[in-house]
Amino acid sequence: MDRRRFLLVSALAATAACGGERPGRSTGSSAVPLTRTDSPGALPLHDDIPQVADGLSPESGGVLKILNYPEYVSPDVLKAFGKTHGVEVEVTTFNTMEDAISKLRTPGASFDVWFPTPDVIGKAAVGKLLRPLNKTYLGNLANAWPQLQSPFYDEGSRYSVPYCAYTSGVGYRADEVTAGFGYGLLWDPAYKGKAYLIDDHREGLALAMLKNGSREINTEDPVKIKQAGTWLSELVPLMNIKTGIAAYQLVAEGQATVHHCWSGDMINAQSYLPKGVDADVLGYWYPSDDLGVVGTDSIAVPASATKPVLAHLLLNHLLDPAVAQENFSFTGYQPALSAITPEKMVTDEFVTEGLKSAIVTPEVYARSQQIFQISPAAEAVWLDTWSQFKAGQ
Amino acid sequence: MSGDGGGSTEPPEPPGEVARGEHAAPVTASSRSAGLQGSSKPYRRRGGTRGGGLWVLLAAPGTFWLVVLFAVPFYAIAAVAFGSTDPVFNAPVPEWDPRYWDFTAFSEILTRSVTGDLRPVFLRTLLYVALALGLCVAIGYPVAYYVARHAGRRRALLLGLILAPWWVNYLTRMLAWLNLLQDDGYVNDLLMFTRIVDEPVRWLSGNPVTVVLALVYGYIPFFIVPLFSTLDRIDPLLLEAARDLGCSSRSAFWHVTLPLSRPGLLTASAITALPMFGDYYTNTLVSGSPTTTMIANQIEFYLLGGTRKELGASLVLLLSALLMVVMVYYLISSRRAEEGLS
Repeated sequence: MDRRRFLLVSALAATAACGGERPGRSTGSSAVPLTRTDSPGALPLHDDIPQVADGLSPESGGVLKILNYPEYVSPDVLKAFGKTHGVEVEVTTFNTMEDAISKLRTPGASFDVWFPTPDVIGKAAVGKLLRPLNKTYLGNLANAWPQLQSPFYDEGSRYSVPYCAYTSGVGYRADEVTAGFGYGLLWDPAYKGKAYLIDDHREGLALAMLKNGSREINTEDPVKIKQAGTWLSELVPLMNIKTGIAAYQLVAEGQATVHHCWSGDMINAQSYLPKGVDADVLGYWYPSDDLGVVGTDSIAVPASATKPVLAHLLLNHLLDPAVAQENFSFTGYQPALSAITPEKMVTDEFVTEGLKSAIVTPEVYARSQQIFQISPAAEAVWLDTWSQFKAGQ
Repeated sequence: MSGDGGGSTEPPEPPGEVARGEHAAPVTASSRSAGLQGSSKPYRRRGGTRGGGLWVLLAAPGTFWLVVLFAVPFYAIAAVAFGSTDPVFNAPVPEWDPRYWDFTAFSEILTRSVTGDLRPVFLRTLLYVALALGLCVAIGYPVAYYVARHAGRRRALLLGLILAPWWVNYLTRMLAWLNLLQDDGYVNDLLMFTRIVDEPVRWLSGNPVTVVLALVYGYIPFFIVPLFSTLDRIDPLLLEAARDLGCSSRSAFWHVTLPLSRPGLLTASAITALPMFGDYYTNTLVSGSPTTTMIANQIEFYLLGGTRKELGASLVLLLSALLMVVMVYYLISSRRAEEGLS
């Protein structure tokens, strides 16, 4: 260590030592149970947040407040539901789950329906942000994939019902890519400058692990996480790789030839094709073995809901296959219902034959890997490793 | 007649440097000492005046504005940077009491910025902003100079045209550029048609040149307008005097116009560079590549995504500290330039 660095480190250590310590600081371990597919968990119930009683009439009049990602539920479906029940439906949007939780925790704010990802349902339940569900209002839950009627992240569906399912694969231009299908497409210099990764630290680093045959996409081992970062960094000089979450547009317009993306993006891309371009130019690759990532989203009723009964009815409504299919035609993300099969989606002309692989099945869900909630300390390592990759390291 | 110098005669309009001929005061010691203020009395920087209470009252809303919209948010950022994390939601918990501030996150960011992975990002940011600022000077100075001194009756029109891009939403303008700069866009069509290049330039594939040019495009009006204001206020009679004393047009520019426009150059540079340092969206739009990541992109990454917002807040503080150095340099230089003029 040279003198300059020694002085710097000493100064930093002194600075760090200056701060006082207030009890209750985060220790880096998780205060929320970390559920896994092989170790599911029932989330805690709270006496002060009871579920709604059986057989109540839904609330009417006023506004039913939805908290969701932008463009992630059909306005027509919501409008028709609101008209049936005599309420106005208002959608508030968020871009990240941290953003959503922040809105839910805002004093005085109330929302009736929220669309969380499974990895935050545990912390939302522990943090008293959710109201337990009364399943007597949720008869359509039986339409969901069997694995999701009592999912590992919320055993017994105490707080959530499933919404959409997706895989993370490689979207590509079928008119330019004719061979070499696999994660290797993103490492193929033939597509240099026109290759993209999903701009998400867990997805991006998991891709590097899976490409190299590792299934440890939820590891908390810093060495393995850093190794994934090293693998990913190869892409900077090799591919001049870029990051983004607009595969539906970039692939459709030809700005990207290969794009690490969610399956729903490629289904959506059909709507973004320039005039006169056939949907057959779009392709989606997903591994046939277990080296792929699958994910689901869910729907829940926040503790702050002022129309909890009506919220239950909306959850049940969205689990109806006909409604779900109408919703699918808007969002591009398929509902995790048994009635939605790849064959039916091709027959109903929702997707082309080339995008059949973008439809997720319960079998794909069962064999694939999933991105789970990890401890805050490990989350920090994943974030920093991704930050270093994005810094061009 | 502007009355800048308070004189009453209109000298013939000299060629070259002095084109507008609006200012008519003879060059006297008192007019020089009055600087650009147009007063015949020496400029008073300090000292109480009658009616000072009124000015304090008038300054109150601005002071209140500054406190509410700058000092409080800035303290909030510090409270997040030096605060803790909620154990359930991993959300930042601001620490408002400085006695309990925890400097761990700031130390981490400082170390990474000086010797770690953020160092090249800071250096890259400095380089991009320096290049963009250089281009702003090279492009903006002649434009501001022409509009101030040679545009005549068209100056209002030209100023309007310079400001015209502001009438269109920034995002829309940038999206338009994305279309133009695509591999099969009009820019490449033109370059290939004129045989300047043989194959399309990958403008949007993490090209640093595109990022720098986009920064220039986005911020150059901020550079031209304050510079124009300074150049417009330079007394043409000073240039006339220089020419009378034997200066050529070029020499008069180097020895009179350029030094007198230095305060304007500094102001324009500060106004342009400061937002460039904090700009993340331009880079995201025209590049999105790790090879061009700037420091504001890292701030965006930590603040808008993930659970380490304390690092993002610490980066904001660090960047602010660096910009503070730039601002202090600007203030000292402006003061010296002002003193030099008086």
